[in-house]
Amino acid sequence: METIIEAMHLNKAYNDQVTALLDVNFAIGKGEFVALLGRSGSGKSTLLNILGGLDAPTSGEVRIDGRNVDFGDRKALIALRREAIGFIFQSFNLIPALTAQENVEYPLLFNYHEKAARRERAADLLATVGLADRAHHYPREMSGGEQQRVAIARALVGDPLIVLADEPTGNLDSRTRDEIFDLMRRVNRERETTFLIVTHERELGKRTDRTIELLDGSVVS
Amino acid sequence: MIVGRLIDYLMAAAHQVARKRMRVFLTALGIAIGVAAVVGTVSLGEGIRYQAVEAIKEQSDLTLIEATADIRGGAIQLITPAKIGELDAIPHVAASSAVVREAYATKRQTYLEVVGVDPGGIGDAIRPKYLKGESLAPGSRQAVLGHDVAETLQRYEGVRLGDTVPILIRRYDEDGMPVDEEVGFTLVGVLQERDDAFDQVMLIDRGVAQELRGGEAAFDGVLIRVDHPDAVFGVVDGIKGLGLTARGAFQQIESVNRLMDVVVLILAFFAGVALIVGALMIVNTMVTSVFERTREIGITMAIGASPADVVYLVLAECLYIGLIGGVIGDLLGVAFSGAINTFGKPFIVAQLGDTFSTFADAEITLITPGLLVLGMAIAIALSLVSGLYPALKASHLNPVTAIRTGV
Repeated sequence: METIIEAMHLNKAYNDQVTALLDVNFAIGKGEFVALLGRSGSGKSTLLNILGGLDAPTSGEVRIDGRNVDFGDRKALIALRREAIGFIFQSFNLIPALTAQENVEYPLLFNYHEKAARRERAADLLATVGLADRAHHYPREMSGGEQQRVAIARALVGDPLIVLADEPTGNLDSRTRDEIFDLMRRVNRERETTFLIVTHERELGKRTDRTIELLDGSVVS
Repeated sequence: MIVGRLIDYLMAAAHQVARKRMRVFLTALGIAIGVAAVVGTVSLGEGIRYQAVEAIKEQSDLTLIEATADIRGGAIQLITPAKIGELDAIPHVAASSAVVREAYATKRQTYLEVVGVDPGGIGDAIRPKYLKGESLAPGSRQAVLGHDVAETLQRYEGVRLGDTVPILIRRYDEDGMPVDEEVGFTLVGVLQERDDAFDQVMLIDRGVAQELRGGEAAFDGVLIRVDHPDAVFGVVDGIKGLGLTARGAFQQIESVNRLMDVVVLILAFFAGVALIVGALMIVNTMVTSVFERTREIGITMAIGASPADVVYLVLAECLYIGLIGGVIGDLLGVAFSGAINTFGKPFIVAQLGDTFSTFADAEITLITPGLLVLGMAIAIALSLVSGLYPALKASHLNPVTAIRTGV
């Protein structure tokens, strides 16, 4: 299988004291559906932010799609976020002033797509996540599950290689949690988009291709 | 492409603005009051300028200009036949006539400013109207007097139409001693009152003047008639372009303009203090707005916005504040200007006294399209400048901390 994410000897320390990551090594293949397990404070979010180019490691290297990420090159990091990465957050983090449709279109605004193309693509993705009829609703008019579906559509709109999801079901009840999880799994199978899902729920880990577990900043399994 | 991007930013910002209508409106009102103050006071200045210029146009012969020799770069630009040809070639010059200027004294020591004119060519240039008598006959020692100087000579020297005006011309003999030669000019005409320099001069034949001067063929100036009042300043520029000096009633307008420029600038400056308050309100509103949306900005950056994108998004919001402020400001300014006209005019007219009684019937404020555009431009420019700090602040947020800690 082709490797799409490669983490090599990643270390992250805050203020030279608190160690968040300690020599983290792993590789994820293209189209894999992987859970990143660990208790809170184990460095999961830090790792996710580094992989998404939002944070820089203290040392070590990240390879995305065979290319080294240069954490000193801001433009390259922005391009990485625009082209290769989709983010899903725990608290959905939709823009309150925008409708579902506009929220999904929003990342394409910074990707400089034509308006008609943006609209069409966003509409397609809303249909994919089963929210075609909610396109013109604002986040406050939608349930948590619906908001997270919009967020998934938004993460997919730029056609990323990798979706990084930080506790995407953390704020949802168990039934909605399963729906969202299934939706991500379906997208993963249909589009062959690689998913790396941070969660602290072991049970969810069992329903992924494989799990990477962090403990105190190190990979334990 | 760039327009498309701009529209995208504006559309995205429009959503934010629409969500906080009241806040945006109140902030825009701050700028609007400043703009209204500027528009109102400048309209008063411009109105007074307009009335003053109109009064000058009405009272004086604006389209008459005299081009005179000048010293440029150490060399005297003489009025040569070639120069006269170039002057005639300036657009909107309807007629021109070269003149010789002299200063004579009468036998009783009345000072006379003398203009030697070409009796054939002068008619079109100065358009003389005669109170009494008629024009000069070419080549003869005749004189036509301006209205005021004719009155003076009649009162103190008893010179009337048909009389001879006795002139003493001072010459120097071989030993350098002054010798006065007496020359008599027959008074053949008196001009009507013109309210310009021609009221004070004596017109004589140009050839005679040159002969009395010792046979020099040079001219001292060219009287130019411009075909339309609006073309006067263009012709003045043309004359200056030839290295000559231009004089005439237009100089009064220039003085009024210079004075009013300063007055309007000072008025606008004090009125503009209100704009500083408005600008600070925008800074405050946008800093608050950016703070409230810390998390949202973090997300925007996480999903692919560059810091520049964030700057443009914030500035686009400021642009709306500027547009709204500009429109309201212009409307308030027009209202303010109307109020000055209605309530302020009686007071101003009373203070200025009878000299400016023409103001009583006229609008003392003047709103020009340019002034409204200026008001709009001030509002927009100011709101963009005020938005710069909040925008840069927003663009420097760290996405990770913004998303984690943002409200």
